[in-house]
Amino acid sequence: MKNKHMHIVAGEIVRLSLLKRGEQGKVISLQNDNKALRRRLLDMGITKGVKIEIKKIAPLGDPIDVKLRGYELCLRKADMAEIMVEKL
Amino acid sequence: MIVALVGNQNSGKTTLFNALTGANQKVGNWPGVTIERKEGHVKGTDITVVDLPGIYSLSPYSNEEKISRNFVLEHHPDLIINIVDATSLERSLYLTTQLLETGVNMIVALNMFDLVKKRNIHIDKDKLEKALNTTIVDISAKTGEGIDHLLEHVKKYDVKENKLLNIYPSDVHDVLVSVRKDLAKADIENDYFYAVKTFEGEEDYAKHISSSTKEKMLQVQKKYDMDGEELIASLRYDFIDELKKESFTNEEIEIREKQANKKLSWTDKLDKIFLNKWAAIPIFIVIMALVYILSVGLVGGLTVSFVDALFNGSEEIEFNFFGLVWTAPFEIAGIGPGLGGWLESIGASPWAVSLVADGIVAGVGAVCNFVPQLIILFICLSLLETTGYMSRISFLLDRIFHKFGLSGKSLVPFVVGVGCSVPGIMASRTIEDENERKATTILTPFMPCSAKLPIISAFAGFFFGTFAWLVSLSFYFMAIIVILLFGIVMKKFIFKGSHTTYISELPEYKTPSFTYVFRDVVDRTGAFLKRAGTIILLCSVAVWFLGSFTWEFKYVDGTDILINDSLLANVGMTFAWIFAPMLGGNMSWGAAVAALTGLVAKEEVIGSMTTIAALAGENVELFSEADVIFNFFNPITAFAFMSFNLFSAPCFGALGAMKNELGSTKSMLKSALFLTGFAWLVASIIGSISWIITAAGGTL
Repeated sequence: MKNKHMHIVAGEIVRLSLLKRGEQGKVISLQNDNKALRRRLLDMGITKGVKIEIKKIAPLGDPIDVKLRGYELCLRKADMAEIMVEKL
Repeated sequence: MIVALVGNQNSGKTTLFNALTGANQKVGNWPGVTIERKEGHVKGTDITVVDLPGIYSLSPYSNEEKISRNFVLEHHPDLIINIVDATSLERSLYLTTQLLETGVNMIVALNMFDLVKKRNIHIDKDKLEKALNTTIVDISAKTGEGIDHLLEHVKKYDVKENKLLNIYPSDVHDVLVSVRKDLAKADIENDYFYAVKTFEGEEDYAKHISSSTKEKMLQVQKKYDMDGEELIASLRYDFIDELKKESFTNEEIEIREKQANKKLSWTDKLDKIFLNKWAAIPIFIVIMALVYILSVGLVGGLTVSFVDALFNGSEEIEFNFFGLVWTAPFEIAGIGPGLGGWLESIGASPWAVSLVADGIVAGVGAVCNFVPQLIILFICLSLLETTGYMSRISFLLDRIFHKFGLSGKSLVPFVVGVGCSVPGIMASRTIEDENERKATTILTPFMPCSAKLPIISAFAGFFFGTFAWLVSLSFYFMAIIVILLFGIVMKKFIFKGSHTTYISELPEYKTPSFTYVFRDVVDRTGAFLKRAGTIILLCSVAVWFLGSFTWEFKYVDGTDILINDSLLANVGMTFAWIFAPMLGGNMSWGAAVAALTGLVAKEEVIGSMTTIAALAGENVELFSEADVIFNFFNPITAFAFMSFNLFSAPCFGALGAMKNELGSTKSMLKSALFLTGFAWLVASIIGSISWIITAAGGTL
């Protein structure tokens, strides 16, 4: 498992929660057992292939404001950890 | 004609509703302002507009989505107005594609078109209209542009017929057609909509699907390597992506992406300050303190004595500027004594004089003293909501609240609850997670609402003099500590170990519109005054009546028959033992009555006390030596009694709201009992300190 201080190179597949501010990732898969949450994320446009950028991080480190599909969305780190992305 | 208004949260839906119907629903710059459906009429027509909660999808998982979905499918509106935020079209159109599958005719209202032009977002309306095969009107709900045009379409029913747009590739569409046929055979209404839902994996109608169709569904899902839910969501967004290439571009975003942070938007700039790693929390504390100091400290201190003089008469009034007190001569007869004197002069009986002066004016006036500071408080709350700062606070504090079993979004109910628990409790509905939502609903009444302010101000003003504001402030901190404590207790013992989520948006900062803030403040102040004129008035009269007559229906004149023989004293005495521990061992029927009337409305605690004191002696200042009923209070028992009233079961209005949110009377009663039990315990512990001190021979 990658730890959060390690540098992530482009093309690597990691959890979305590991990306830093300003970095972008392309969604590879949603691994979520919570059906309602998974559907909510899909509804908000987090589908395979979509690009997500880390925009703002709350002052206490969580939640995180991400940008996708021309709008912004706030998510908790724990939920972002279940979204696998390919770093761009 | 019934028109359903459907759109994303924070898309300007409520603003459009108000523009269409002339109603004044609450507008806020945080997601989830409309929590129930609301109806209004377009003037001079038979058009009913139904404002549905803001939603992103028609999934079966959240209550808001279920409400909207059921309304659209089962109440058969003649028309849907789908309000779409033109500045974030991609996400908004996702809901549009789902609404189109319901078969109901639809107008898409592209809102915030004024911003679209400003930002050089180019939208080819004709192409969009063609691709979606529906009527599109551009509007700006805020400025009112285009509303007439939209209304004309509605009035003339100038709307394209909904022909169930197919947005899926042929392989998926073919399967959907098979599913639809199976459902049609089973006589299911809205067969196309449910075909898509069944494909997504909803179970309700799965039994009507033939095994061959089921096989086809599985095959196509396997082909795309996604389950039905993910596949449909992906295909919707694919369709929108295609649409985007053809009919709209967001030049600003593209330019900004190229320039990478060189040109930040206003919102981003402000967030650099308000969400700064180090400054955010100090700024938040300063803002909240300012709200409090401005309303209760400054305006409260300067006005309470003045308003009281208007009702009850005075020779001089007092200004309290954060503990610096000075007095000014101010001779006025006051409404109560004035009316009383006039009644006496026309020969009215003493009880009639007393009813007006001691019952009505004293009781209602005690509550009205706090109107000026409430107005300031309401202005501040309205500004927090409309500017978009409220959403930042919840983003900021989610991490902390999450640890305590709450959500960052709990903050909205808590802050709104400072005004009134009822909308506060209703606002908890925007919290995704059921446990966090329930915890928030139960804990919101702990926030000292505006009706509790009179209790705090009256007690603290008398007993803590210069430090009154500090004592009042301490109740807000106590409330927060208690809320966090119970949050964690509930998380550990009641709602154990479930996964919780937080999905929210940071709306753009907006300059508050004067009209909205004004209307909002007038609304809230009006509601407060209305209570003073109805429920508080009735309650004061009831307290006066019970306090003025004995069991034998003899009038309590204060010389032969004393108030201690009154009906009220008798009733209060049966409950007084409950309150004895928190009152340092005093059996006070007056305090018992006041606390009980607080269930009807919290302001009435002070209303009742004032009425009772007025009945017991003329021109008596509450809690002073001359106030024979309440002069036993000392600073400690005052603090204890305040704590009880602040933290015990909220008023009936809030209990009703809790019942709605918790879903059953039983859960509501349990919560109320829990709140009251806790309040009693805390108050009794504090009150006992006074008991111990006096028992040991000390004085207070």
